Parts: sequence; structure tokens; C-alpha cells
Amino acid sequence: MNQHIDPGTLRADDGIERGGMLLHVDNISLSFGGVKAITDVSFDVKKGEIRAIIGPNGAGKTSMLNVINGFYHPQEGTITFRGEKRRRMRPHRAASQGIARTFQNIALFKGMTTLDNIMTGRMTLMKSSMLSQAMWWGPAHREEIAHRETVEKIIDFLEIEHIRKTPVGRLPYGLQKRVELGRALAADPALLLLDEPMAGMNLEEKEDMSRFVLDVNQQFGTTIALIEHDMGVVMDLSDRVVVLDYGRKIGDGTPDEVRNNQAVIDAYLGVSHE
Amino acid sequence: MVLQARGHGVSPDFLNFIETVLNGLMSGVMYSLVALGFVLIFKASGIFNFAQGVMALFAALTLVGLQTGQVPFAHLINAILGTDIHHWGPGLPTVLAILVTMLVMIALAFLIEKVVLKHLVNQEPIILFMATIGLAYFLEGMGDLMWGADVKALDVGLPSGGSFWWEDVTRAWAPEGADYFGMYIDTLDVSAAIIAVVLVVALTLFSQYTATGRALRAVADDHQAALSVGISLRSIWVIVWSIAGFVALVAGIMWGAKSGVQFSLSLIALKALPVLILGGFTSIPGAIVGGLIIGVGEKLAEAYVGPIVGGAVENWFAYMVALAFLLFRPQGLYGEKIIERI
Repeated sequence: MNQHIDPGTLRADDGIERGGMLLHVDNISLSFGGVKAITDVSFDVKKGEIRAIIGPNGAGKTSMLNVINGFYHPQEGTITFRGEKRRRMRPHRAASQGIARTFQNIALFKGMTTLDNIMTGRMTLMKSSMLSQAMWWGPAHREEIAHRETVEKIIDFLEIEHIRKTPVGRLPYGLQKRVELGRALAADPALLLLDEPMAGMNLEEKEDMSRFVLDVNQQFGTTIALIEHDMGVVMDLSDRVVVLDYGRKIGDGTPDEVRNNQAVIDAYLGVSHE
Repeated sequence: MVLQARGHGVSPDFLNFIETVLNGLMSGVMYSLVALGFVLIFKASGIFNFAQGVMALFAALTLVGLQTGQVPFAHLINAILGTDIHHWGPGLPTVLAILVTMLVMIALAFLIEKVVLKHLVNQEPIILFMATIGLAYFLEGMGDLMWGADVKALDVGLPSGGSFWWEDVTRAWAPEGADYFGMYIDTLDVSAAIIAVVLVVALTLFSQYTATGRALRAVADDHQAALSVGISLRSIWVIVWSIAGFVALVAGIMWGAKSGVQFSLSLIALKALPVLILGGFTSIPGAIVGGLIIGVGEKLAEAYVGPIVGGAVENWFAYMVALAFLLFRPQGLYGEKIIERI
């Protein structure tokens, strides 16, 4: 859509050094009626890192991602993204400011091809007006081609050339997950939110996906916040881990620190119950 | 041509059959035009827009009003101020009038989003449907208030009347000396068919090959995913309702030119209903094919079943077909299959 955003100033050069603060959530509380999903949670994401959010089922991990990208509006707390502090995000504002995400239960456009799905990821970067697109007007056409080139690179990177023209509804689960990652990458995101990128995958698919996540982080320098249940994967991939349980934060630190945190062991790993 | 068999010619009965089918296709195109507007909105927002027929009427009224230089709300103004105004001048040239009408339809789309849809986000489909019924009555009243309730002729310069050329050509197909005087085809219907084809091709190209088209398809497919890639649902709705307004304008022009701009035009929405049930609410090709089938079926039934039951088959045939479809294939010809996982 026509969002009037200059990708050059918005995405890459936001003046935040690698390792500087990219996202800060402060004292977030979210409830649905009487059910408290998140209670007073604060944590940060530094630029360039892979930040994992873990916790047992129902701990509020996905709710947290939904707060960050504006699907849910917390009753309390603030979100500071790229130095801009606000009460609530709006989904398309979040997207246009560089937050891209994938979903736990894949949310692709099932009737559209892989190529079209990934092209929608560039939506916020397109600037030509609807009328000039409709007229197949020169600049609009050139813009389309430029975006198409980037998308082809992403397709190349994710090794999904063979399914470019296949409607994604027909693809197997593992490939759909990969296409969804592609769509999020296409937005050239400053912050990439991955909700259980490896859920339901076999070992080989998990290894592939882990490799892609690492490559995205290292080659493109993309900051990633991910939710994952596979502890092996989490400990290997992430730089820092935040642990939630019943909507509260019970641990925060490097994988090693978290692994040895007694509260985490008690609540999450379920050891040492007398 | 096969039909130009030398010597004996084609039986007039068969030629009559062909004529009926052709006329059916033509009127089917008109149904498709209305059904198309429904499908566009239904796909993108899940709203069954009961006001689509009234939108066509409103567009046609506005167009005639601008063309003939009517003063909007003239009756109201006269009643309040005791004046006697009705026209402000000779009116706008047709092309300009069409453009201005289009702008009015876009403004209408904005208003509908701002005043109605915005406040009904995440409501049940039935509530949105009720809202469009309200919209239909509002627009009908507004059209009356602005432009008056009298039947108006609409002439946008399209050819109309029977084609003599086609009559001559087809007469030669019948055997020498047969009691046959050629086929009757209204040239206005032919223009309508051509315009409808152009419209559908243009809409298809737009939705397949432009970024906005892609956004429209994305929203139609999955709201949440569309939001996550930064598509603003509200602006998409304005675009969709504008396009539906454009389709309504085209339908309004065609129907208005054919049978005059009158308030019974809003009832063509009812004719679109069986078309939609046949074609499926979510399929653009379905709307086209459904319209054609209803059109042809109706004319054939009138010609061949009509005499047996005393005529007027045209009035109920479409609804019987729709009923049969609801019983045996509720998703329509092309609609998405309804699968419920347990």
C-alpha cells in the first residue's frame, strides 16, 4: 500500500548501533476479561541479536508477540521501538516501521502462489499510487520489477525456486513455514518475530530452518525474537533468553544463565518437585 | 460457416433456438454485471452487500442528473424556500458526467467506511448484512431526495435498437421461401456484453498484476496475515467499495439505458441472488458463468416451457435453479468447498 515511507531511512539506518536497544517493552500487562495473559513483563531486544522467548504452554509468549506487533493492545505498559515510545501498536503501523512476523499456525494467503505471497511482504515498501499501478505506468512498473528482484533473491536464499508458482495451500507444512519466513524477510525487517518456526517439523526440517534463522541473523544482520519449544534449538540459536510462566517473567539472560536459574528449572523444566 | 449449408439452409426452428440462446447470453451478461459487484465486496470483506442494486440505481440517477443539469435536492429546496428551481443549465457532456459520477461513488465508498464499516469491525456477518440493508434504504431515499422519483431516460450515446445487418445475415441462413425473417438482437445488449467483457478482463489484470490487486487478494484470503504484512484493512475496504461503486455505475448505465432509470432498478439485486448461488459467492468467473446460465436458462424456459404453463416462466425460473443448487451444491459452481473439520 501507499504508505509514503522511505525505506532507506527507515530500515537500515535507524542510528541504532549493533548491540544498542532496538525494542523495549516496559511493565506490560494484558488481560482478556478476567483472564490475565501477561502480568507486568519487561524485557528488551538489542539490535543484531537472536532473542528467544520460552515458557510452558499458556505462559503468554504468543500474546507477547501479538502485543509487540499490535494485534493485542495491553491495558498497561509501554512499547519503545526504535526510540519511539507508545502505549499500543497498530498492526499496519508496526509493519511499516519494520516489524515482520510469522505465525504459530501458518497464516499464508493460501490461494496465492509462493511468489505472490512473498511479494505481499514488500507491501509497505511500495510507494506508487494505485492509479499509476492500474495504468501500468512506467515508474510503478519499474518499482514492481525492482521489488520482484529482491523477492527472487529471497526465494533463492530459502531454496524454494521449484515452488515459485505453486499456490501455497498445496505445499507441505515444512515448505509453508519456509514461505512464511520468506514473506516476513521480504519486508526487510528491522525486527523479525518468529512464532515457533520449527513447530511440527522433523529433524531434517528443523536443521534447515535453524540454518536459515542463523543465516538471516548473520548475513543480513536482522534482529530476531523467536518463540520455540525445542530446548536444544533455543540454546544453540539464541544470544539471550527470556522465560515466561503464567504471564510473568521468571528468568532473563544468556542460555547458560537461564539453564541454571532455579526458578526456571522449577517452573519450566519441572525438575525438583518434592 | 457450417450454417451456410448450400441448397436447403437451416431449419427456422433451430435458428429460433439460436436466437433465444443469444438473447439469453446478452441478458445474462447484465445479471453478471450486478453479481460481480456483490462478489468483489463479499470476497474482500465477507459482507453480503444488499445495497449493490441500489448503488447501481444511485449511480444511474446521479449520472442522468448531471447529464441533464438537474439541481440536486431541488424539491427539498423549493419546499423550504418556496423557490422554483429545477435545472442549473444544459448539463455536463456525457464523458464528464460519467467521471463526476465515479467521483461521487468513490466519495460514497469513503463515507460508508467512515460512518458504517469502521464501527462494525469484527462483528458477525449478519450484523454487517443488516447494515447494508439499512444502507440500501438510505441510498434509495437519498436518490429520491436528490434527483426526484420520476422515470428518466438515460442516453450515453451507445447504439440501441435491433441490428438490421444481423437480421439480413441470419435471414439468408433459412431455406428459400421459409417463413423466417431473421434474428433480432438489440445492439445495446451487444455493447453491454462487450463492455462487461472489457470490465472483467481489466479487473482480472488489475488484481493479478498490480500491488494493490495483490493486497486485495491477500485481504480476501486472510485478514490477520494481511495485517501482519502491513496492509491497512480500512484503506482496502475503501478501495473495494470504490471498485464495487464503479461496477455499479457500469451496471446502472447499462440497465438505465435499456429500461430507463427508475426505482425498480434496485430490484435487479434480487436477480443477482440466484446468479450468486449458482456461481458461488467468492468466485468472479462464477458470477460471469452463473449470470450467463441464468440468462440463457430463463430465455429458453420462457420460449419452450412458457407456452405449456401459460408464460411468465422468466419470473421464477432463476429462483428454481437457485433452489436446486442450494439442495445439491450449496457452494455453487466455483465457490470454495465447504469443509467442516471435526
